[in-house]
Formats: sequence, structure tokens, C-alpha cells
Amino acid sequence: MNIARTYGDLVRKNMETHPDRAAWLIRKGLHLEAFRCKHLADKRMPQAYRYLNYQGIHLVAEALDHPENYAWTNIFAPVELLQSFGLTCVCMECLSSYLSGFYLEDALIDYAESEGLASTMCSYHKSFIGAVDAGLIPRASCAVTTSMICDGNVQTFRHLEERHAVPAFVLDIPHTYSAEAEAYVVDQLTELIAFLEKKTGRAFDMEELQRTLERENESKAHFLSFLQKRMTRRYPNTLTLVVFQLFATHLDIGMPWVLDFFRQLDQEIDRYPLSDEKRLLWLHLEPFDQKTLRSYLNYGDKVTLAYDDFDLDYTEPLDAAHPLQSLARKMILNIYNGDFRRKVEAIEGFVNTYRPDGVVQFCHWGCRQSSGGVMLLKDKMKELDVPMLVLDGDAIDRRNCPDGQIRTRFEAFLEVLRKDGE
Amino acid sequence: MLGYLCKYTPVEALEAVGAEMRLIEPSVTNFDQADTLMHPNMCSYVKGVLEELDKNELEGLVLTTCCDSVRRLYDVLKERRPDLFLYMLDLPRRVNAFTEGMYKKDIERCVKAYAEWNEGMVLRSTGTGGRFSVPAERGDGSPFQQNEGTVLRSAASGVRVGLMGARCPAAVRALLAEKGVRVVFDLTCTGQDRGEVFAEQAKVFGPGPKQEEDTGSRPDDAALSGYASALLNQIPCLRMVRATDRERYLEGFMSEIDGIVYHTVKFCDMYSFEYAKLHRESRLPILKLETDLTAQCEGQIRTRIEAFVESLEQGRAEMRQKETKQKAEQESVLRSTYVMGVDSGSTSTNAVILDQDAKIVAAVVIRTGAKTSESAEKAMETALREAGLQKEGLSRIVSTGYGRVSNPYADKDVTEISCHAKGARYFDTQVRTILDIGGQDSKAIRLDANGEVADFVMNDKCAAGTGRFLEAMARTLELDISELGPESLRSTEMVRISSMCTVFAESEVISLIAQNKEKADIARGVHEAIAGKSWSLLRRVGIEPHVMMTGGVARNPGVVKAIEEKIAQKLVICEQPDIVGAVGAALYALESLQKQ
Repeated sequence: MNIARTYGDLVRKNMETHPDRAAWLIRKGLHLEAFRCKHLADKRMPQAYRYLNYQGIHLVAEALDHPENYAWTNIFAPVELLQSFGLTCVCMECLSSYLSGFYLEDALIDYAESEGLASTMCSYHKSFIGAVDAGLIPRASCAVTTSMICDGNVQTFRHLEERHAVPAFVLDIPHTYSAEAEAYVVDQLTELIAFLEKKTGRAFDMEELQRTLERENESKAHFLSFLQKRMTRRYPNTLTLVVFQLFATHLDIGMPWVLDFFRQLDQEIDRYPLSDEKRLLWLHLEPFDQKTLRSYLNYGDKVTLAYDDFDLDYTEPLDAAHPLQSLARKMILNIYNGDFRRKVEAIEGFVNTYRPDGVVQFCHWGCRQSSGGVMLLKDKMKELDVPMLVLDGDAIDRRNCPDGQIRTRFEAFLEVLRKDGE
Repeated sequence: MLGYLCKYTPVEALEAVGAEMRLIEPSVTNFDQADTLMHPNMCSYVKGVLEELDKNELEGLVLTTCCDSVRRLYDVLKERRPDLFLYMLDLPRRVNAFTEGMYKKDIERCVKAYAEWNEGMVLRSTGTGGRFSVPAERGDGSPFQQNEGTVLRSAASGVRVGLMGARCPAAVRALLAEKGVRVVFDLTCTGQDRGEVFAEQAKVFGPGPKQEEDTGSRPDDAALSGYASALLNQIPCLRMVRATDRERYLEGFMSEIDGIVYHTVKFCDMYSFEYAKLHRESRLPILKLETDLTAQCEGQIRTRIEAFVESLEQGRAEMRQKETKQKAEQESVLRSTYVMGVDSGSTSTNAVILDQDAKIVAAVVIRTGAKTSESAEKAMETALREAGLQKEGLSRIVSTGYGRVSNPYADKDVTEISCHAKGARYFDTQVRTILDIGGQDSKAIRLDANGEVADFVMNDKCAAGTGRFLEAMARTLELDISELGPESLRSTEMVRISSMCTVFAESEVISLIAQNKEKADIARGVHEAIAGKSWSLLRRVGIEPHVMMTGGVARNPGVVKAIEEKIAQKLVICEQPDIVGAVGAALYALESLQKQ
């Protein structure tokens, strides 16, 4: 029996008639999952990932229990600033993933579509909107998003602000970097600080932010060191763990626990053996519950998902002496922002640095910014002579990720990789 | 000639340095280019632009960072088409003095880049160093393009609408014009008249520069600042942070329009948010249209526009009063009169003959063959035989359904939306919501207390959740379509069919068969998948009890049970659920006879 699915069915039954009960079940379910992560983790899971897994889910469960202290954000929001106001950041991508973990995504997506939202829209956004509109997720104290990379952000947060009176702050991030663009973003960050001061009743502490940025730099240094070691060593993981790594690289970056995690990761890998497994660089979101991919990649010893472009979307150290300018640059110069050429060059850089055996691009349904440039990436990989696989599907909506198609493509790709290695 | 896509493009500034600007409105029949250069899931408009590039004699494109698809269009063209002049302006989402200044500088860079590129091009192409020729002045001496889309139409039908949403295909405007609908305002992407928006700037720039003096013709600094500000301060599109101004604009027009036609583009999601909000809050009737902007989309939207216009026309109270009066006058004239309604669907053609008292004297259902007109002839012959009448005995014939325009003998055609509404109330006067699942499409219709269409939605152009879907599933299960329903009622285990796409669902069913699952359980899974789709369709119009289900699929007890469970209420199903549309058409025939 699939416990998560059975639990999800229980939530689903209550969704329409007793949304409060369904919301309670979701919160309890997250706590149960946190308990499971802490005490009943898979034996194959490295210690650092156990810690990550528990922390991620525990923080979300706590946030939903105390909604007055949490904020809705997107994955690229300047979380460092929110942290300095004591706010827990919960991004819609992560909540949608958890809800999909309960097998609820179809009901939530249908709910959002029944309100009139487009069937071609990203399922992360729709699951989140569906969950909030159906009363399954408590209102956050505020919402902070950036306009960069994905069109859906501004729209989704506006919708939530209008429907649920959650004050939203949108940072407009220019496409191109210039001194003027940086000043424009710094201005907005200053405005955001005033917004958060008003919201939380707390005064902004610049030194606290600086300490956060220093921890962030230290965390990233450990992570880059880990990735270097990963080139030769085995370090077991799963698709879900790679997704959860976004808690550390994005949502909670700068927090003390994240520094602990990266430190642990960097040390623990030394104890793992050298291995000649095939290492993949994954581009853009993992469909973490996809049958075929799970069967090959979860704790796989022949092929492994070693690198993820999301984790490497901005690797420059931040200048803690000028925190707002650093945060502005971090957003404008993110590899996903700006011309696609920036991303192609960054991926080329990763390929040259980490020498993955193959690259997989997952074209998530509704994500135009990533799918639109896929042929340009393919050209570059061809030039670099690195095998690249393009998969179409949906990272969380199981209805839109047919196994038959993915299996044929992925297995053929593995055959290519093996041939290359011969 | 330079192409542009977005209303924030500095069209006039570029014209001032001699560029000939053209708004790209693609009319394509396929997306072959786009599917190979980009990805099939890109916004249909952007894919259309890509197809259109070679058809037009464009020297380049001026884009803005308006949306994800356009940003990637720029990236792809930058790599693949070095022969084109390409510039993408970094369009801010906030509007204030700072961003106006930034945008002004970007406009300057764009204009300069074009001027430089153009010099080079002329030199390369002619070798004489001759100057780029400046387009002739337009009749009014203004450099502003008049957008045909906003020309107010003659008000033949008296119906007035506002046009909103993402960019709108010419077919929608043409259909509205054909129906005599007046478009009071056009808030779609580039729908607003640039002349109106920049009336002030027009005076500053004056007419386009003369050929011999074009080098010094760059607009001066203050004028350009004002221009950048005017551009950014247009009625905001949805990508802007403060899009709330749109609501105020709409509010001002509320009393001047009867309804809103809301167009969205397939794979452009931005506007579905505004639609959802209007749908939730607006008191005006809204027609949502989604197209992929191809030349083929007209057929798909015709029924919807016609039905919408019909419902707006019907909404006019005076018309109803007139009808009642006429009815009384005409009643005596009608003695032993027969009328016929014919519903040409994709799977079946249904014909109903009514007498002057609206009593059914014949009702037939035949399978639609390869040719609509032949099936319509055959249905008529069968119905006449059943009623014992000759064709001359029919005073009026109204056709409806997908093939209504191809009916060779009908006096009039009415959409199946209106016909289903009328037909449903004929069988049960309490019906407020109708779910019609036909062979090729499914629709949900909500009626007001008077039985008139208040709202309706139709599913997209795929077989998901339709009769065809069921047929494919029955075939895979090696069952006759009539056996599928009763079989599913024997189910003991819950089996989930997750995909609604006929092709994917079929392979899912095959794998369930391979797992040795019971036919009954798989059939139930199929029916529950349809129920889920129907529920979401119904919710989009709002479910008002009593709900009637029509169409051939209503004969399937498995689907009926699954939907009843999903919506937690009983469905009203008449004895012959497939003839409801045809009865409605016949009732329209009777009414029009009474009006004479």
C-alpha cells in the first residue's frame, strides 16, 4: 500500500466539504513526514541529506503552524533579507512539490483550472494557487517575489494578494545588467526593507544581514568543494533529495543550519568510495516521482544525478560590505536571467569544470523560458561533444508525465552514454 | 521594414529615423519552424512570428522583454538569423521617473543601433552609400499607425462588447463585424489606437523626416523623455506590476457594453488570471475564447461567438416583450403546422419534428457519415417517414450542431449552445445547468432563471473527455461502446486513469490490461476520468441545480454515476438525451414562425 497516496486520498475527500480538516491533515502529514525523515530514514541516505530532508520539511510544517511568521516567496527572492526579519520563507515551488508528494496535484490543478486559469500554465503555480484558494494552506503574513525568469510570478502573487489580502511585494529585476539597473534594484530592496519593517514591526539590522551573507559565502564555498569531490566519488542521492537541495542553495541560504549542512556534506563525501558511475548534469527541475527516472537514479550506482543547474545559478561570492548591491547583482546576474546566451555559457562552464558524462534537460510543462532555448543548448552540447537528452513532461503532475515515453528516451540515452564510455 | 510585437515598442521614434514599422499579425497554418527552432509549447503567437518571418520582407524585429516566449524568440533569432536587425528593449515592470529615464536611454540605444545598422545595410546592398528611403507620409500627416482593430463597427445587431485579453486574431474581429457587433474598446495586446495614446507626442515629433534631412532628425531629449513616459504610462498590460489601472478603465465602460469578449492565446497564460478574476467578479457576460492564432481557428470560434451574440441579443428585455406580444397575435395562424430541428453532430445527426403545439411527432438519431450534408438528408428522410409527412409539410427547418452551416435545406441555423438551452427546458423547466458530452466536444451551459444562456464553456480542441475518448477506450478494452457503462458498474476495485489525452490514456489502459486488472475496474477508471474533466467544466460556469446531462454519453450509466458522485447531486436525463439539441432547434423554428 502506498501510504502517501492513501493519506492524500483522505485529504482529497475532505477538500471540498471540510477544507479546514483537509488543511489540518496536510499540516499533520508534514509533521509525520518530518518525523519519518528524522527517525526512519532510508539506510542508504547519507547523514547530511538526512539532516537536509528533516530540516526542510520541519521548517515548512512549523511555518504552516505559525502562519504569522512566514512569507510566500518564489525560489529567486532575496530570502536573506526576509530571514533578517525572522520570517520563514516558503516558496510555492516547494509547497507544490510537497502537495504532489501527497498525490494531490491533480485535484489542485483542476481546482485552479476550474477558476479559469490556463491549462497550459505551469503546474507548480497552479497547484499552489489551487491549494491556497481551496483553503488548504494558511495565509502567509506577506509575499515577496521577483519578476525575473518566469512570467508566472507577478501574476500568481497578484492573484493571491487580490484573493486573500496577502500583501505582496514584487521586485522588478531588469533583464540586462548595468550600473543603473543595479541602482534600480537596490532602490527596490530599500523599499522592501521598509515594507518588511512595517509588516513585522521589527527594525532592520544591517549587521545581521551581513552575517547572513558571510554564512552564505561560506556555505557556497563548501558546496563547490563538495561538487569538485563529486567528480570522482560516489555520494548516494535521489531525485527528491536533489529537489530538496534547493532549500539549502536557495530558500534558506544564509541560515546557520544551511552552513552546517554544507559543512557536513563537504566532509562526509570524503568517506564515500571513488566510483566510475555515469554522472549527469540535470537542467531545470526533476520530476521526482517519475517511475523510470526513480528506478535508475535513486541510489543508482551506474548512473547518478550529480549536478543540477539550479544549484549553480549564481556562484559568485557576495560582498558582505555592500549587502544590498550584492543581492541586486545576485538577482540580475543569475544565469537564468538575461539573454539565453548567458545560460548557455554558464552550462558550458559547468560542463568544462565538472565533466559530466551527459546532460539532461527536462522541459517542464508550461515553462516557456526554459523550453524555448533548448535547441540552443543542444547545439552547444553537440559542439562540446557531450550527449544531451531532452525530456518533455511535467515535474509534478503525474498525468502529464507518461512513463512509456520517458522510459524509451531515457534508456536509449543510457545506451548512448555506455557506448561513449567504451 | 521592421517588425514589432508589443505596444511598448518605440514605433514612432524608429519611424523618425526612417524605419518602416509593421505590427506582426501572423496568419499561418502550421508551426513547423517553431517546433524545430524552439519548442512546441511556446506561445502560439511567438511561434506564428517565427513562421511569418520569411513570408514578410522584414529586415528585422524590435522586441521588448515582454514575456518569456518573446525573450526566447530573441535569443533564438540572435543565434540563427544574423542577417536580421534585432533589438530587444528591457521593458521595466514598474513605472516611475527612474524607470522612465532608463527606458528613454534604451530607446535611444535602439534608435542608434538601427540607424547604424541601416547605414551599413544600404552601403552593402547598393554600394552607392545612398540613404535609406523614408516612407511617404500618411494621409493625415501623422507618423502614427492607425490600428484597424479599434475601428468602431456599425451597430447592426445593437450588441456592444469590449475586447480584452492577449492579442486577438483578425478572425475574431471579422466575426464580430459579421455579426454586427460593435467593439467599444480593445484592450488586447496591441489593440489600442497608437494615435490616441500618443496624441501629445505626435505634435512634438511632427511628420516623418524628409529624405534629404534625415541624419539630424533624432528627436530632442525632452521630447524623447516625454515619449518614453507616454509609452510606459499606457493602460498597463498584465505583465506590469501595477495592472490594477486596467480595472478602472474597464469600470468606466461598464454601462456602455453588453458583454466582454476575452481572448487568450494558447500557451500564453498571463491573461487567464485576469479572465479568472473577471469571471469571478464581473456582472457582465464574458465569452472566453482561446485560439492558437492559426488560420484554422476561425471554425473553432465561430460557434462560440455566434452563441454569445445570440445570448446577448436575447438578454435585451424589450425583445422578449415583443416576442410575447407577437406570440399571442400569431397563435391563431398556426394550425397543423410542422417544423423540424436538425442537429448535425460529429458522431450522430439527430432530427426532430414538432407540431404547432410543440409536441414531438418524430425523433431520429443516425450516425454521421463522412459528409454532413448527406447525413442531414438521410436524417430528414427518416424523420419524415416516421411522421408520415412530405418535405413540403414542413413550414420551417432550423439546423444546429457542428455541421449546421453545411445543412443544405435549413432555413436558418442557430448554435448548439442556444439549442441545448432551449431543448433542456422543454424536457424539464427546472434545469439550470447543462452538461453536454458529444462525440467531439463537451460543453457546460448555465441558464438564468428565465432559461436563457447565462454562461457557457466548451472544452479545447482535443478529444479529452468526449464520446470519441470513450469509444477509443471501449475499443481497447474490446467492449462495445454500449457495454462499457454496465460493465463499469460491476467494478470492485478503484483504478486510476491519470491521463485525459486519448492517446496517452489508451496506452495507460493497455498497461493496466497487462497488469491483469479487471475490465470493469478499468472501465470505471475511464468514467471517473471523464467525471473529473466534466466537473471542472461545470465549475467554470458554476453548478446550479438541476443539472441535466445531454448527448449520447448520457446513455452510459457508468459515466452518469461517476459524475453524480463527483458533483454530489442527481443528474436529470431525459429519455432520449441525444435529441435535446434538435428539439431546441425545432423550438427555434416554431418561434420564428410565430414571430412572422
